[in-house]
Amino acid sequence: MIHVQHLSKSFRVHVRQAGWFDAVRSLFKREYRIVEAVKDISFSIQPGEIVGFLGPNGAGKTTTMKMLAGLLHPTSGEITVGGFVPFEQKAEFKKMMSLVMGQKSQLIWDIPPMETFLVNKAIYEIDDRVFRQTLDELVELLELQPLLTKPTRSLSLGQRMRCELAAALLHRPAILFLDEPTIGLDVHTQEKVRRFIAQYNREHQTTILLTSHYMGDVTALCDRVLIINYGTLMYDGDLKVLTETLTPYKLLEIHFPSVPDVSWDDYGELVAVEEGKVTLRVPREQVPEVSSQFLRNFQVYDLNIQDPPMEEVIKRAFQEGAHVS
Amino acid sequence: MRRYWRIFQEFFRTCFVEELEYRSEFLGNLLSSFFGVGIAVLTVQIFFYQTNQLGGWAYADVLILLGIFNTLQGAIDFALRPNMSRLLEHVRKGTLDYILTKPVDSMFYVSFRHLVFWRLIDILLGVGLIIYGLVQKHYIPSLADILMFSVSLFSSLVLIYSLWMMLMTTSFWVIRIDDLSFIFYSFFETTRFPIGMYRGWLRILLTYVLPAAFITNTPAVALLGKWNGVTTLLSIGIAGLFLWLSRRFWRYALRSYTSASS
Repeated sequence: MIHVQHLSKSFRVHVRQAGWFDAVRSLFKREYRIVEAVKDISFSIQPGEIVGFLGPNGAGKTTTMKMLAGLLHPTSGEITVGGFVPFEQKAEFKKMMSLVMGQKSQLIWDIPPMETFLVNKAIYEIDDRVFRQTLDELVELLELQPLLTKPTRSLSLGQRMRCELAAALLHRPAILFLDEPTIGLDVHTQEKVRRFIAQYNREHQTTILLTSHYMGDVTALCDRVLIINYGTLMYDGDLKVLTETLTPYKLLEIHFPSVPDVSWDDYGELVAVEEGKVTLRVPREQVPEVSSQFLRNFQVYDLNIQDPPMEEVIKRAFQEGAHVS
Repeated sequence: MRRYWRIFQEFFRTCFVEELEYRSEFLGNLLSSFFGVGIAVLTVQIFFYQTNQLGGWAYADVLILLGIFNTLQGAIDFALRPNMSRLLEHVRKGTLDYILTKPVDSMFYVSFRHLVFWRLIDILLGVGLIIYGLVQKHYIPSLADILMFSVSLFSSLVLIYSLWMMLMTTSFWVIRIDDLSFIFYSFFETTRFPIGMYRGWLRILLTYVLPAAFITNTPAVALLGKWNGVTTLLSIGIAGLFLWLSRRFWRYALRSYTSASS
């Protein structure tokens, strides 16, 4: 569905200096610097996949996404999305994709979301019957009924996001670009949005590319992730494999009636000792051995084996800076 | 074409709903429009206390000119002006991205998305003034006059739209100026009077560089039966040329926007 080959993008950025003198000088003589936002990225995404696109701020996520949506012209490299070259901006291409940006709204501020939906209906030339049907479905999935007739400005951030999603999906796009769709939302609403995205993808086989700062979004939705940093693609593959390669250990949480006095280093790396609870970092292959030792030699209430949190995995990926793939 | 007409209707409908949301007062708008026309007519009358000709035009002729000016101004305030500040905002906030991902011509979208339908009153008042001028002059235009008038008025609209659009397009670079429309208005105001009133280089500038003469003067002359085919054809040609220029400029601006912003 999406094919990207050797994609690069560089910007010419005006270098600004602070202060009066330099501000005046920049009127006459501007200094430019070339910023390479994206460097030689290649990947492809199959129809129906949900792929997570991760990276710190300024890594090149949004730039790449904008190139895929046809908003930016690549400096070099090739992109095809659904058989189209995005930057040609053909109407057929625009009709098969949709873009939702968590930080920017397309809803008309002063009037109810329904009005925006109707404008989109006219722009996308959606047939009356299809429109009703799609709208009914989205209203049900996103629980929009009570929101449809309230002015957008009076909606909460979470309610607005749900309406944004509906506005973007009315024309039933085959490809959906989601840029930080859950930003600023509370945990409960994030959960709702995630559930919706997963369900929508299942039912319509929509190809989804998602960027997010919240690991929860990625772990809940994506089997596959792309990790980008400093404009280069550092990892493309299974989220589980990534976790195993980058963090070759698990967290062992052992609950004791009273914490015994032993040399923890014999078992693993000590993370924390709390009232009746010890957390150890243990290499993956030693986990069964170590846990059975504890169960055999000590009086243990409970024993939990956990994967390290996703944040840590990603942090490691960026720290190591190496190509993992 | 049909499709764009439908989208335009949808824009009109949402703006109507938007306007009602704030219940902006009909009466206030009506009064201000009447007041505007009243002052304009009064100014012309003051001129004619001193003289009985203005740039070679008689009182009733100038009224017709003023009527056309008012109609065109109404059209600008109805469809173009409300969109100027919006485009600046779209560029600044990055919401232009949404417009660019829509399967609709982006120049059409940014110029007609917001409509202030109260300003249609000005168009009606303008038409009223034209009729009043004709009555004053005791002139009944022939069918050919009206046809020529319509054609050149249409050219004026296209011309104004193109000039306006070119100015609006500069907002990609000058995103700090909140209202560029005053630049346009200081030019547009010159079309309020017969072009013959201006002297020297100003007249040359207004005839050949910024085609102010074609905006109000040509339609007025046509309505009074003094049209000639060449001028009318020329007005169509110039309108077409400027529309083409504005479109190229818009595309150029978009290209630099899409290759520069991040």
